[in-house]
Amino acid sequence: MKWISKDVQTFLSAKEYIDTAIVPLYSISLEAELKQSAEAVEFISLLTAQVERQFAGRLLLLPPFTYLKKASSEITAEQLKNWELSLAAAGFQHIFYLTADAEWRRQEEKYDGSFIWLPAIPLESMSDGQKITLVDSQVSQLLPLFTQKWQENQGK
Amino acid sequence: MSKERVSRRQFLSYTLTGVGGFMAAGMLMPMVRFAVDPVLRAEEGGEFIATTQKVADLTDEPVRVDFTFKQKDAWYESDVTQSAWVYKGDDGKVVALSPVCKHLGCTVNWNSNKEHPNQFFCPCHYGRYEKDGTNIPGTPPLAPLDVYPYKEKDGYLYLGKAEPRKEA
Repeated sequence: MKWISKDVQTFLSAKEYIDTAIVPLYSISLEAELKQSAEAVEFISLLTAQVERQFAGRLLLLPPFTYLKKASSEITAEQLKNWELSLAAAGFQHIFYLTADAEWRRQEEKYDGSFIWLPAIPLESMSDGQKITLVDSQVSQLLPLFTQKWQENQGK
Repeated sequence: MSKERVSRRQFLSYTLTGVGGFMAAGMLMPMVRFAVDPVLRAEEGGEFIATTQKVADLTDEPVRVDFTFKQKDAWYESDVTQSAWVYKGDDGKVVALSPVCKHLGCTVNWNSNKEHPNQFFCPCHYGRYEKDGTNIPGTPPLAPLDVYPYKEKDGYLYLGKAEPRKEA
């Protein structure tokens, strides 16, 4: 489900089936790394859209968690923690964060959700066909991460 | 010189009728064309979208066929890629199934679950469908997979808009 009124309506009526939330983490920079930050956002947004298409019936794709790259990492980390707590309170059993910002790798253990970190691939020079093939192959490698997590918790 | 001479009056009336008819036709033709335009367009069947799949290459094993079309969402036009599971049935007819699970809209895969081979499997809530798209009772989906109408043109497969299947 996407974060649009039509999908959210479905979500409300089928809540018991949707136990997973995806939050893309976008780091924004307005200085030297502006271009890299745009590339990362482009790549991660294509990727999350594709993951959402695969698993539309079991997950809710949240609007991205966006933060300034130069902001203090403690404040950003705390804000994300707040998101996590609210999501958990709303009944989401599995939370996935998708990001291209390596900074999160050091914070990983503070959170219950799983981080999926991917190096951003610049897509600007690619044709549409190449983009689709690339994102498709990346996504097909990600899918088992989700199904594994679901199976782990099913056993409990 | 023939006996029947054309009088000046006759010559003028023939010429005027000819030229007048020509002008009237010039005015009426576009009007008629506009009037019948919807009919002509319907004949082209513009809703079918070309895929890169050759009909001759299809076997009885479902393959994923991706196709892209333009979708307009309010003022935002975007390219949308959709997939279909396509195979040839026993009678040689092409079957094109929508991969969208009828339960909550996940994408189903062919033969991806080892415990249930030769079925369409939905990883979200373990919904399953037979090869012909019929939902298997006892799994979450309550309806068979949608079917794409198809056309063959120059050897390539063209797919229309997926339709819910009528109860067999």
